[in-house]
Amino acid sequence: MAVTRRAVLEQLTTASDSETRETTTIETIAAALEADERTIESHLHGLADCELARIRSDGSVRVTVTGEELLELELDELVIVDPGTIHPDK
Amino acid sequence: MSNSETTDPEGPQEVQYDPSSNRYDLFECSDCDNVVLVLGRDDPPVSCHNKPMERVTDLEMSVKPPDVRQVLLQTFGLPKAGLDICLCVIGEGPLSANEVAETLGYDRSTVTRYLNKLVELGLLRRSELNREAGGVVNVYHSVDLERMRRETLIGFYVWAGEAAALIEDANLTKQDYLEENPDQELPDVFWDSFPERDG
Repeated sequence: MAVTRRAVLEQLTTASDSETRETTTIETIAAALEADERTIESHLHGLADCELARIRSDGSVRVTVTGEELLELELDELVIVDPGTIHPDK
Repeated sequence: MSNSETTDPEGPQEVQYDPSSNRYDLFECSDCDNVVLVLGRDDPPVSCHNKPMERVTDLEMSVKPPDVRQVLLQTFGLPKAGLDICLCVIGEGPLSANEVAETLGYDRSTVTRYLNKLVELGLLRRSELNREAGGVVNVYHSVDLERMRRETLIGFYVWAGEAAALIEDANLTKQDYLEENPDQELPDVFWDSFPERDG
């Protein structure tokens, strides 16, 4: 069964931390999920577009505070993230 | 609508109410003009004049079958784009609003507009998450299917109630006018009572 983007986010959250800025790698996530690295990379870019993940120029990745908060909502269903909505005053 | 369908080669299919079908039922009171629509029940769910209402069995009228796109547009002001986005929430994710826009072929602004419209209608929920760079990120997620069923059905019933009241008003207007002006033309006065609404 193909790995889902949500599963990648969950694994990313396990292996990295937004507060300490601890990062992980695509290879590590792929190994943990027994999935193809290109698939993982594609999902990570999707998560980055949603501002749920950060991909550094050296290839390391970490979850963002937004990604951690999303998982804390414990939503079973799909979500659409609209990162274009910014309210800096909040 | 699976009730008796007739095919007219020169026009759209029409449908008739079929009392033997269990998709919906019409019940009426034998003592007054009360008529009710019932979904998913075999027995009369309500009584009128202290006795169970009776199933309508003698209806010969055919109607044009509703189109789901038109129903959603008329009832909720939700065009196909809105429904597409709503359906997009049933699948794999998370997805960005940009991805949804690209997948469906809509502008990003259209996606954002309808996401908010779907929240207003109670078909989606919106949560605000903190953004690392400051501010918040909006997250849209579906309500559970039972709640979505309830919201859409009740929303439609409110619309149907408004439509039924309008038809009753029209009947009464016609009746009142005929009683008050037996020797004058009806159409102008009738339509003046129901001015066309914008949008």
